[in-house]
Amino acid sequence: MTAPEDVSSPVCVIGAGSSGLAAVKNLREHGFAVECFEREEEVGGNWNFGATNSRVYASTHTISSKPFTQYPDFPMPDHYPDYPHHSQLLEYFKRYADHFGLRRHIRFATRVERVEPAQGGVWDVTVRGRDGAARTRRYAAVLVANGHNWYPKMPHYPGLDSFTGEVLHSAQYKGPEVLRGRTVLVVGAGNTGCDLAVEAATNAEQVWHSTRRGYWYAPKFVFGRPSDQVADFWLGVRAPLRLRQWLFKTTLRATVGDLTRYGLPRPDHEPFETHPIVNSQLVYHVGHGDITPRPDLAQIDGAEVHFKDGSVARPDLIILATGYLPKFSFLDHEHLNWTDGRPRLYQHIFTPKHESLFVAGLIQPDSGQFTLAHWQTVAIAAYLRARTEAPRRAHDFRGLVRTESDRVFSGGARYTDSTRHHFEVAHQDYLRSLERTINALNGGRR
Amino acid sequence: MTRIKAVRPFEWAFPARPAERELISALPDGDTGKPPLLFVHSLAHGAWCFAEHWLGAAAERGFGAYAVSLRGHGGSSGGDRLRRTRLRDYVHDVIQAAATLPSQPVLIGHSLGALAVARALARYPARAAVLLAPVPPGQGVGLAVHLARVAPAAMARAVIGRTVPFRPEHLFHSSDAAVHLFRLGAESPLVQYQLALHRRPERPLGEPPVLVVGAGEDRLVPPRVLARTARFYGTDPVVIPDIGHDLMLDAGWERPLTTILDWVEALEEPA
Repeated sequence: MTAPEDVSSPVCVIGAGSSGLAAVKNLREHGFAVECFEREEEVGGNWNFGATNSRVYASTHTISSKPFTQYPDFPMPDHYPDYPHHSQLLEYFKRYADHFGLRRHIRFATRVERVEPAQGGVWDVTVRGRDGAARTRRYAAVLVANGHNWYPKMPHYPGLDSFTGEVLHSAQYKGPEVLRGRTVLVVGAGNTGCDLAVEAATNAEQVWHSTRRGYWYAPKFVFGRPSDQVADFWLGVRAPLRLRQWLFKTTLRATVGDLTRYGLPRPDHEPFETHPIVNSQLVYHVGHGDITPRPDLAQIDGAEVHFKDGSVARPDLIILATGYLPKFSFLDHEHLNWTDGRPRLYQHIFTPKHESLFVAGLIQPDSGQFTLAHWQTVAIAAYLRARTEAPRRAHDFRGLVRTESDRVFSGGARYTDSTRHHFEVAHQDYLRSLERTINALNGGRR
Repeated sequence: MTRIKAVRPFEWAFPARPAERELISALPDGDTGKPPLLFVHSLAHGAWCFAEHWLGAAAERGFGAYAVSLRGHGGSSGGDRLRRTRLRDYVHDVIQAAATLPSQPVLIGHSLGALAVARALARYPARAAVLLAPVPPGQGVGLAVHLARVAPAAMARAVIGRTVPFRPEHLFHSSDAAVHLFRLGAESPLVQYQLALHRRPERPLGEPPVLVVGAGEDRLVPPRVLARTARFYGTDPVVIPDIGHDLMLDAGWERPLTTILDWVEALEEPA
């Protein structure tokens, strides 16, 4: 390795997915030089279907409707449906990159291997490009946007190794071909688990769906409108959480009805306390007998899967839709204030350990992701600008970062404690906080 | 720095209805490195008013020139819902059209179109903006009073929810241009009310350069209203003499276009 060349001013952005692209655009708009590294040949990250770390499958559509999902300053085209397909999202990211001239700031097919702090709050970033040679450069700041929905979280069920059939993680699932003519057990009731159970219902011979608890399965449309748009009206009028929970349950009872009548377990928590599951078809297929609901797995014994209620299934294929964990292979955990198995960052962005290291996109919103990633990256840009132009404001903000890194943005709800809720945010609560951050750093006036 | 607003629950809960928009363009040969121009028409007009002279002339000077028809106007859809159309739908149309262009355009709005552009600027980081004979960004009661004085019959019809019946002298200084009057269409009554009763737009995103252009013989937008608009953007209006409100159709249309294109060419390259 050669001595790092000194390119002190640019900001390094890691990843050109939904968050990385917003970072490049917003840092550029705030006047920063940017160099972004992307391991693939195209933008889009998770939405770049078929790429190594893409986790979308052939049928993936968004869970949140367009107004919540798009970048606020670059709306999705009118001809997109309410819930666009992943191919439309990739198209959208490509157009965003072209429209704002972002590609010339991105080095494609370049992997980030190491990110190390250097003297004076700057960073040495080692990358390996197309030619295979490692190169180290110095950056004024590093913005990590490598995504957190690609590294599979594997559950530990007793006897899983002894299973005689096939086991897949949903990360490996690309389309329904693997389901055809087989008996399938889908484990997990995240939005992916529910999508896969539905896909198995129309493709496989028999389907069991194992969930740890009962959930609130919200339909994608209520009253003829995308359900998140209906829900946001109540947020807009600042209806208290209790009222919103009551409205949610009443609407669900009136449209879907009593879930236990379908044989699904009764939810053991109130709405908005777990990550929302939006799926109109799961309950439908349960009602048609295409999906057999099952509780949590107890153990696996050769060909037999035993559930906690004592029932047994003999699937050919188990799909573990058990989620993903964040992974930063190029960066030591201490820099991100890693405690109890996860980074603890103020607003899931700012680490108390460094003034020039940021993470974007490390959130699990109850709404669309890219709107939030946009404002996250605007907040980072505003902070970087305040560091030079208004050191006093930046200093005050650092105080918050150090003391408030445990703050939860749940809109008043108490999140169920599981790894999938580590990064859970209620969009309105979280955006209000980002709004305050940006306006405080900008010294905003009307 | 202006304050940002990230939480917009009512806009998310009630998004503008999708529409199919007519986008007329005239493009130069090859990439000239100049920003695209997006023209937005006024009350009861359509993209056709820019296609008449300006689009071709701008393309000849090396600009990718586009004009959008707002919903319910020209060749765009939405005529059947025009009576329920509001200003925010037009703002949506402007941003949707801007986002389809190859790069960030200079938004150029005329009269009512300038008001739509002024509001679009708060949602979309345009390269720059030009406001031609604009409806002022603040409330337009003063403008309404002025119009009631110069065109009382027209105003009376607007009040009862009919499209303002323009007369040639309202729009044109030269009588030759009066033929275009027959191409005017209908306008949304709600939008006509909003011309007088709209809230001040939020500040533009990214503080783009703004040029305010007035017409010397404008019967509809008087000089003091023009000056007020320019003040809102911290600039001085440029007034083109001997031309009527419809600067793109009236005799002498070359002069305002030259003023605009010279100004755009003099903009600094974005860093």
